[in-house]
Amino acid sequence: MPKKVLSDGTEVAQPHRAPDRLMKRLHVREVPDAEKPAMAIKWLDYYRKNRRSLTMAMESCVKCGVCAEQCHAYLGTKDPNNIPAGRADLMRRVYKRYFTVQGRLFGKLVGAEEMTMDVLEKWFSYFYQCTECRRCGHVCPFGIDTCEVTMAGREILWGLGMVPELQGAASAAVFERGNQGAMTQAGAVDTHEFLSDELEEERGFRIEFPVNKPNSDILYVPSSADYLLNPETLKGAAQFFEYIGANWTISSYMLEAGNFGLLTDQHSVQRELVRRLWWVVADLGIKKVVFGECGHGWRAWKMYTEALTDYAVAGPGYTYKSVPLVNIHQEVAALIKAGKLKLDPKNNRLAPSGTYVTLHDPCNYVRADSLGDVFRYNLYNSVPAVREMTPRNEKNFCCGGGSAVLYDDPEMYDLRIKFFQKKADQVRASGANHICAPCSICKAQFYPMVKEHNLTTEDGKTIMPVNGLIDFVGAALVFKGHRQI
Amino acid sequence: MYFFVGKILPYITVAILLGGITWRIWRWMIGRIKFNITLPPFPSSWGAAVVWILWQMVAFWNILKFDRPLWVGAWPMHVALASIAGGHVLGVYTLGMQFHLLLPWLVSEHASEAASNALGTTFGIIFFVALLYLLYRRFAVEKVRVISATSDYLHLLLLLAIVGIGDYMRLVSSASLHYEEARHFMAGLFTFNPQPLPENFYFFLHFLLVQIMLIIFPFSKLMHPFGILWNRWIYNRPYQQPPMGLPGTKITL
Repeated sequence: MPKKVLSDGTEVAQPHRAPDRLMKRLHVREVPDAEKPAMAIKWLDYYRKNRRSLTMAMESCVKCGVCAEQCHAYLGTKDPNNIPAGRADLMRRVYKRYFTVQGRLFGKLVGAEEMTMDVLEKWFSYFYQCTECRRCGHVCPFGIDTCEVTMAGREILWGLGMVPELQGAASAAVFERGNQGAMTQAGAVDTHEFLSDELEEERGFRIEFPVNKPNSDILYVPSSADYLLNPETLKGAAQFFEYIGANWTISSYMLEAGNFGLLTDQHSVQRELVRRLWWVVADLGIKKVVFGECGHGWRAWKMYTEALTDYAVAGPGYTYKSVPLVNIHQEVAALIKAGKLKLDPKNNRLAPSGTYVTLHDPCNYVRADSLGDVFRYNLYNSVPAVREMTPRNEKNFCCGGGSAVLYDDPEMYDLRIKFFQKKADQVRASGANHICAPCSICKAQFYPMVKEHNLTTEDGKTIMPVNGLIDFVGAALVFKGHRQI
Repeated sequence: MYFFVGKILPYITVAILLGGITWRIWRWMIGRIKFNITLPPFPSSWGAAVVWILWQMVAFWNILKFDRPLWVGAWPMHVALASIAGGHVLGVYTLGMQFHLLLPWLVSEHASEAASNALGTTFGIIFFVALLYLLYRRFAVEKVRVISATSDYLHLLLLLAIVGIGDYMRLVSSASLHYEEARHFMAGLFTFNPQPLPENFYFFLHFLLVQIMLIIFPFSKLMHPFGILWNRWIYNRPYQQPPMGLPGTKITL
């Protein structure tokens, strides 16, 4: 989509909008433009009364500006609307006008603004430039999480029928297939067979990927992007489960560790995956769910499942079987710590000697959970050498693709390149020649961006390879025997 | 005018201030905290979470870590403000004897009043200079200027006017007001027996501007000392990791 021209002549970049047919599949009706502002105010009123995090974000900011230079989007674009406080102000100005005393009495003097189509078009541009990485929330003296603002903003836009095609298509695929990549059972099984063949060539014995296997103890939920982009991640997880001799399975009905619903529509899309998860747990007799590599997905499962289950599954009179949800990295780290996994970092197919791996901490793993040290523990035990980035762990910068702003349209793609600037500088400064990014969206952002920013290995020509973390762990495992018998 | 500002307005001000704060917090609490959306450092218990929130409030820790030039202005400003607010209460109530009453064997009455004056003047000047610095920063630093509304400047100017007049009364003896006069007036207000304002134009102006500030307090970003508590309550709370160990595996923990 070309840049959207606002009534004052300014231009804003926007993602491509979902076509009509896709909207119908999502049961979203586009509100006519003339009614959108009034409807948006109604939705804003609804969300402010339902989410304290949004109300507090609207009412606590003092505009101190600490967040500005902590946001990769502002650092890359220097656009004031990409300063987290400025981005939240796109909503806060309207909020002030309609829901505060000072805004109603003094209007512009206190920075209040009427809701218009221009405001909504700006929301559609800038709320989809926020990667919801929470770095601003981490640095804010008040702990204001701008992510709560952009998530509510996106949900309001969704309700008005302003849906980006990427998120719309992924969500429609969730309803249809239970994953965002529209992977079918046949497609998954075919991919598994191919990967099993590869593993057989590499290891000398075959490792199978069980699908929909009844009476399994462990449900492994990979990110569906692994089937499209990250085969090594699937192989790594399979090798891990094979090594520990697990009774595990993958479900074709619930094949998505990620959850775009968290980022665009918590009402129906996010709940759909929660519903599917408990359906599979009950159907296959699962005792523990292990999630694969996906940053925001882990945040969605860790923080939202319990509350969303009440609505999606267990209404009054219903019971559901609740089992623990964990992340594969935590389990791997616990086993390494207990000395139960034999890893040979010197003999890693993915990281031959001379490889210096740098770890990109996915935002939601380190700022929605404290997994930075877990990652490091696994990585240091799996690869020959690590070169750390600065800053790292919970202070790390986002890759610029977070919350699935992985748009291909030229305007948004240019922005993605700019958002990656800080990350490119960090990688260069680390002196590494291989990147580890344990998150599907990070990987999807890194693959093209290492090329755009010409991040090369020492020879100056080879583009830096990118892998997940479980990829390295799987490749470094030293098998004593097939299924550890 | 003196009658209104000295005898009637203070009661209106306090009613609006307390009622406004209560109303605003009540509004904040309409929405529920649905999800445990914690942020680092992931305290393991409520005690640790509360300590972290208090530490943020006392040290301005995040500002110190992530924006040192702002901390240089913001932290002294708030410390001076807290000291001055406390000093007004104690100094006026005890007529400058607060240090003598606290440590009678160490501080004489005379020394206590001198210390009260010296501290008041010092913090008054720190407050004024820090506010000027913050105002300059809002004008000069682009990232802050572009997100500022007119009211952000007006809040600073109002505080500057209040503290400027206060400092002037401290430093220029002809404009000053004795503790006794202030106590007599304030005691009248607190006992619902309002006394006429002391014959001092600077005090009148100081008192009026403070009341204006207290009236706008609940309806502006000045509410942020409450905002930080209510907001961090959402994000700084305990989170327990699930127990590790996979079921039904041949290799177990």
